[in-house]
Amino acid sequence: MSEEIDFDQILGKYHSDPFEYVDIFAEHTGTVRFLVEKGNDVEAVSGEWKHIPGTALFEITRERNPKKNTATTNGVVSEVCSELEGSFVEAGEKLMTIRHPLKKKEIIERILQEVLFIFPAPERAKYFFTLDIQSRIKKKGAREISVKPGDEIIIMSLMKRDTPVYYNGEPGVIHSVYFQPGVSVDQGAPLIGVCPTEKLPMIQKIITRVKADWDQQPK
Amino acid sequence: MGSTAEINSLSLLSSAVLDDYFFSVELPARLREGNKADCDAIARYGAIVGSEIRVYPSLDRTMDRARSYITAREQKGLSVASGSLILASTLNHSKGRFQRSWHAPPGGIWGCLILADTFLALFRNILPLIPGIACCEAAMQEGVSGAAVRWVNDVLIQGKKQAGFLIEGFSSPVHHEQYHLLGFGLNVNNSVFPEDLQESATSLSLVCGHSLDLCSFALSFFAKMRWYTGLLFHEEVQWLARGGGDEYQGEHPILKRWKALSDTPGKRVRFGYDVMQSPQYEAVVTGLSSDGGLVLRHDDGSVSIEHSGEIRYC
Repeated sequence: MSEEIDFDQILGKYHSDPFEYVDIFAEHTGTVRFLVEKGNDVEAVSGEWKHIPGTALFEITRERNPKKNTATTNGVVSEVCSELEGSFVEAGEKLMTIRHPLKKKEIIERILQEVLFIFPAPERAKYFFTLDIQSRIKKKGAREISVKPGDEIIIMSLMKRDTPVYYNGEPGVIHSVYFQPGVSVDQGAPLIGVCPTEKLPMIQKIITRVKADWDQQPK
Repeated sequence: MGSTAEINSLSLLSSAVLDDYFFSVELPARLREGNKADCDAIARYGAIVGSEIRVYPSLDRTMDRARSYITAREQKGLSVASGSLILASTLNHSKGRFQRSWHAPPGGIWGCLILADTFLALFRNILPLIPGIACCEAAMQEGVSGAAVRWVNDVLIQGKKQAGFLIEGFSSPVHHEQYHLLGFGLNVNNSVFPEDLQESATSLSLVCGHSLDLCSFALSFFAKMRWYTGLLFHEEVQWLARGGGDEYQGEHPILKRWKALSDTPGKRVRFGYDVMQSPQYEAVVTGLSSDGGLVLRHDDGSVSIEHSGEIRYC
């Protein structure tokens, strides 16, 4: 983590293009049929339990078994690989891009994720802190909790199988918690962001600066 | 029939006795339904289950004993046989998930199966389905009717819980081997429950109206655990031979068997991560996904799939 942060450069980047470009890939092999066009608005998954699927983006048929793929983020379809319409695609092939407009909170999170050590979810599952960490967070707050490599900090729960997850990043304090108890987290999505204690003032400076700067900008 | 102490004793259990039972009772029954080559392969893959059996008169928790056993073996430079079973006639500080109390007096089967985590990621989700199937089949073999599995692996008889299972991961401290510790609690001859469990728990002796030979029932249960664990490994091999991939094509035979034994599909349920403390919503179960997830239809018509959490029937 660098001591010096070029705030103007970081903020300038987000001011000039306050979007995230989310590439969508084929989950498995099959014949693809697109269900949206470039410029279409798409809605993300919604509902209190995230049970209402997002806009259907495309359908892949494998062995006469069609499977619809839906949007997980809202935005506008900025690119469709329409030359693939009706053809056989491999798993992992890029099919389209969604341009997602970033909110202030998301921008802060993205900047923080560049400077914090992000500890990702090993599998799609539900996660919760171990009882010890949970009680310490309750008493003192997450930012008072120090973690180091090898610590058992989180339990991964999947099909009534609870597996301890061991922290393997930089030592520091838990600055950001990205999961909620009872809500599934995708594989690779961030679980916690950890910051070395001495860098906490710099992190706070980033948050304050982004908030102030963003609020001053004309809407 | 012997004395109560004899009937409730697991001390006669050993890996050799389990081998005898498996090859003289379980495998011949399976051979009547499947082809010999597959059955023999499944038997070979499953043979690890109960390859070592340790029976204690009393323990605090068998999961804790499994952890300390693995640790002690590693510290001596020794390894732990995957499939080892740790059993106790009674547990002093047993608990279920979320620190819920679990009454474990003499007469039940309380223990932990240690399995090294050698499963492929795609098949690991199927493992928790196995103990529910094995227990249900063992109960049916004793003539019990109405035994059914509630997702993920609770066994209910006449709506009351007869057996419960949980799996905890463990990373060994010396060699950092990953293990699944599969804890099990089967109410067999124990017939008195604490007040808070009287409405929700039952045992086989209460259902049958007589005591069962605990050792025989344990053999039947462990033989079926051995069969389905072998089947899980065998299916991995078959799937790899077909070219593998990101998904399991078709219906996994363990999932198919689970569906045949479960009364969950079609039920309206309360769902929650800890459903007793924090129920989240009610929905109707329409089926299981190919990886064992619960497919739920909400009142607004939308459908979601849950892979972790628990249910209670409405």
